[in-house]
Amino acid sequence: MSPSGPAYRKPFVGIAQAVGVNLDSAVETFNLTKAYGAVKALDALNLKVRRGEILVLLGPNGSGKTTFLNLISTVLRPTGGTATVMGFDIIKQPLKVRETIGISFQEPRGFWRHKPYHILSFHAAIYGLRGKERTEVVEQTLKDFDLWSSRNKRFMELSGGQGKRLEVAKLFVNRPKVAVFDEPTAMVDLDGKRMIWDRIRALREQGSTIVVATNEVREAEYLADRISIMKGGKEVVTEDLRTLKDSISGGDVVEVGMSPAITTGAMKAISEVPGTVRVTQVSESVLNAFVDRSEDWLPLMMASMQAFSVKITSIRVSEPSLDDVFIHYTGKEIVKANA
Amino acid sequence: MRELFTLLGYELRETFDSIPWTVYFWFYFGFQYFVYGQLVSRLVVSLSNYYVYYGTGLLIIMTFNIASWSGRRFVEGAHEGRLRYILSLPIRRSGLFVEQLLLGLIANLVRIGPPLVLVLWLNGMPPVALLTSTVVLLSMSVGIMGIMISLSFIAFKSFDIYSAIVASASAILIRFSTVLYPLAFMPSAYASVARFNPLTYGSDLLRNVMNIDVSQLLNPGMAGVVVAAVGVVTLTLGVVLVPRTLEGVKSS
Repeated sequence: MSPSGPAYRKPFVGIAQAVGVNLDSAVETFNLTKAYGAVKALDALNLKVRRGEILVLLGPNGSGKTTFLNLISTVLRPTGGTATVMGFDIIKQPLKVRETIGISFQEPRGFWRHKPYHILSFHAAIYGLRGKERTEVVEQTLKDFDLWSSRNKRFMELSGGQGKRLEVAKLFVNRPKVAVFDEPTAMVDLDGKRMIWDRIRALREQGSTIVVATNEVREAEYLADRISIMKGGKEVVTEDLRTLKDSISGGDVVEVGMSPAITTGAMKAISEVPGTVRVTQVSESVLNAFVDRSEDWLPLMMASMQAFSVKITSIRVSEPSLDDVFIHYTGKEIVKANA
Repeated sequence: MRELFTLLGYELRETFDSIPWTVYFWFYFGFQYFVYGQLVSRLVVSLSNYYVYYGTGLLIIMTFNIASWSGRRFVEGAHEGRLRYILSLPIRRSGLFVEQLLLGLIANLVRIGPPLVLVLWLNGMPPVALLTSTVVLLSMSVGIMGIMISLSFIAFKSFDIYSAIVASASAILIRFSTVLYPLAFMPSAYASVARFNPLTYGSDLLRNVMNIDVSQLLNPGMAGVVVAAVGVVTLTLGVVLVPRTLEGVKSS
């Protein structure tokens, strides 16, 4: 058996548990709070990021997403509570945390007069890459992020999208155990977005835990293992996308077409099918049923219709979008929330 | 330590990337010393050799300006976001403060070095004076940078207020000191204010180690203690205040 096998892991698990380290969570917060005077940017947040997952934070502007990322990266210091990153406390062991985590900021941050090559080379040097290895990693990263032809431009001469790609690329130089991205594809074109998403997923496949803050529904849907919706500095809900969509009562809309026409009895029977929230008649032969889980509801509906002399001619199912989920939990549409 | 020196090397590269800026400092010194200094020293007859006195004063003004620039650069780095990036790297906060000081000292040394050598050479001063005067100028530089960086917490609230305070402090500290005129020649009201000014002690200490008009100067021992004390106090202030300021505790 390899040294990393179960027989060797067990004692370490015991030790970790004895000293209170949670081996399941890469990041764990304990009433994490950041206040600016009377305003709480983050309000007693308790959140767990599991090891090896991609957790996407979704929330309106001012919901505390960026503050959370800055706190767990030790760029900011909390005014209350604490958090651990791979078992290291952000207040007591900030240097260990910074060795473990990497952050890609919302706005490209760095040395304005330097060139992309030197910026990544510096980043690599800070994390201990030397000589030929550093050169190879930096060159490959520049190529991966479509920055090779711009490598000798000054940072301030790059376009917004190039600057953002460079900001994201930093984390692919040192590949931290916990990689944190704040709006990784803001200002990036459609091709670039897909490229960055694929690279973030690949980073996770290589063992990193990923936390992404975003306002983009497509980004969240493409990347997330779990989505955490935040509002007013608090976590509202954290679940996988499927569970979030299913959590909306009546979120699935089933459009049922009947022939020759919908009868009063059929309408009543459908509204009594378990899981039905409400039924509305759209036309003489079409109705919309708002149900909890269409996959459970459909067989029951079909069975109940056998007693009636109507023929079902069409069924179309649409599930709630993430935007619907967002409205459900925050009371705001994503676009309006971020306006 | 490795990370600290990597960062220092990188920031030095950025600092001296702009060669015209460094050349400007030497150009400024040349004009002030060889044109303005020559002319104004003809007007001053009550001091035996004001030209030499003025030359040392000019070195102190330049040290003050370059050290202030270090503080300003620190603040600008925060506004541009560079500092936040550095804060995310595995470098100790106190180490970061020391790195900023080292950066300022090296920038000071490069920019002040040639003018200092010129003043010493033109006035026939011994080589040992180069060493001692460099130590004094750099010690003053530490104190000034410490003050400017420690004041940076004001800039996080308002960059305008910070700029106004730094500009006012510069005007007051230089005028109410012995940088441009000896204490003995000042009206008593001015002199009493100048005695509380650390720049007075720094200026007199520099002239002492250069052996200029010793009779007009403050006791070098006392001046040395004041310069060292200012350096230690501002360093301590910086080490304590800067991390708290940067990590946002002050704003809570």
